[in-house]
Amino acid sequence: MIVHFSNHFRTATAALALAASLALTAGASAQEITVEHAQGETTLPGVPEKVFAFDIATVDTLNAIGVEVDGVPDASFPESLSRYADVMKIGSLFEPDYELVNAEQPDVIFVAGRSSSVYPQLSEIAPTVDLSVDWTDFPTTIKQRSETLGEIFGKQAEVAELIAEVDADIASVQAQAPSVGNALFISVSGGRVSAYGPGSRFGWVHDDLGIVPVIEDVEAATHGEAVSFEFLLETNPDWLFVLDRDAAVGAAEGGQPAAQVLDNEIVHQMSAWQNDQVVYVDPVNFYIVNGGLNALHEMVVQVGTAIGADVE
Amino acid sequence: MGRLFLAAAGVLALAGVSLFIGVSDVSIASLISGANDGRATMILLLSRIPRTLAIILAGMGLAIAGMIMQMLARNRFVEPSTAGTTESAGLGMLVVLLFFPDIPLIGKMLVASVFALAGTALFLRILREIPLRSVLLVPLVGIMLGGIISSITTFFAYRFELLQSLGNWQSGDFSTVMSGRYELLWIAAGLTVIAWLAADRFTVAGMGEDFTTNLGLNHRNVMTLGLIIVSLVSATVVVTVGSIPFLGLIVPNVVSLMMGDNMRRSIPWIAVFGAGFVLACDIVGRLVRFPYEIPIGTVVGIVGSAIFLYLLLRREARYG
Repeated sequence: MIVHFSNHFRTATAALALAASLALTAGASAQEITVEHAQGETTLPGVPEKVFAFDIATVDTLNAIGVEVDGVPDASFPESLSRYADVMKIGSLFEPDYELVNAEQPDVIFVAGRSSSVYPQLSEIAPTVDLSVDWTDFPTTIKQRSETLGEIFGKQAEVAELIAEVDADIASVQAQAPSVGNALFISVSGGRVSAYGPGSRFGWVHDDLGIVPVIEDVEAATHGEAVSFEFLLETNPDWLFVLDRDAAVGAAEGGQPAAQVLDNEIVHQMSAWQNDQVVYVDPVNFYIVNGGLNALHEMVVQVGTAIGADVE
Repeated sequence: MGRLFLAAAGVLALAGVSLFIGVSDVSIASLISGANDGRATMILLLSRIPRTLAIILAGMGLAIAGMIMQMLARNRFVEPSTAGTTESAGLGMLVVLLFFPDIPLIGKMLVASVFALAGTALFLRILREIPLRSVLLVPLVGIMLGGIISSITTFFAYRFELLQSLGNWQSGDFSTVMSGRYELLWIAAGLTVIAWLAADRFTVAGMGEDFTTNLGLNHRNVMTLGLIIVSLVSATVVVTVGSIPFLGLIVPNVVSLMMGDNMRRSIPWIAVFGAGFVLACDIVGRLVRFPYEIPIGTVVGIVGSAIFLYLLLRREARYG
């Protein structure tokens, strides 16, 4: 699976350039909007009406600020986005249905993460914007991407309000985190266990929320490091955050659900298990939606609630 | 016989090493002192012994399955992963994931076995249609057949977003083996015994259908028995620990280089070498990135493909 990261420098320039371009076009919504993003610069003829998004994080953010999305990928949607189950399906998370997209001619197409590699093909069909977020700077890049969306659709105020709410809850979690002990983030898929550390795909829980990692040096591999149950017992974190990956892709019954895999005599010896501090994170938010503003808020609230922070 | 015992002792020593390698502190001292509420004993019983047994059973079973396949296909380069057997078992796993996700492990294994059986039978059927039986053509046909079957699996796994779950299931990995999750492999041990008892028949069948019939054996029956053993072994291993490529090819070939093709004589050697090879590879996989693990499928894949190439080239040189 190919995943592209945007880099900080580009993100920063994108935000600046966007601000500059919007300053030029301010007050005239029918005029051109130039958006700088992870893969270059895209010019939109005006505020887009027919919106396609291959990235559920983008759908999540647009939904939160009240923008309709007319085409979405065929994938698992979280409860909050359940109405998108019936919206036109324009391909998978990875691969567009090019003929359909071409026939429909949307005003704008959003890609990110899983779909960012098809940016060149899609941008031949319609104006395309890559809103990939960076796992090593997760909340910050999500906020920047959301601001970009807010500016494209003239919803800056809504975005600012949501960001303020998220920031408040992140601050609450940060305040509580140092006093609750350390934690390990694992994912379970097909009966196997992988561990994640700071700087990895789920590392923002440590890096940005301030949850103390039980080990510092887990490699930042996309799909984590394979570990044994003994590893879990010996690192013995106070908190175990578990992503049930098979549940995320809607195959929970198919693989072995994480709870079933972890329910064994070795894991039972862990203090996280004995103190009832095993937290099954929302798999759709953490794995599928991942970079949406609303999803970020829900994830922060879930982690915060688990550790007893004052959230929402 | 003496040399065989020596080899077996070597494997037992490796098994001993395997028992004392892992993230937890398990040593003779910690076992005797019972420190930490006897945690060492618990880890030994729940994790180390099951893992070591699983490795030995899977290694023996796959090596012997490879030997039988080589006899039946009358080709040195055939084994479950170069004859479509493993891929067929994987397709069976996908069918289970899609249609009967809740059936117990034994049911999953049976479905995978039926698919493995069908795939292997298809391979042997295709071989019968190919007039030219070059040494290299036969495994190539098997690898192509496996490619077709796994592309079907991939297509549907992709459609139903099961690609990664299936990948995790299929890649060989002993990291989460523990008491209660490996016992199916004892079936492979039972089949190994049956293979041993029927070894002379397989040796004869390896000499061809006419020869077998002349000796008064029913060739079809021997083939069927062999197919069932191979398919059941492949399916139990794929379902419990995933696929371990090349193992069934390397071990029988090395043993055959040492002592010829009398299967009754070579089976114990194949079993011992199979177990020893997987033990050694798993120990390496546990040590290289300690305390993380490299899955056995990856380690055997790297070591195995190198030996596979060596055997291929060496053979070419001999006949070239």
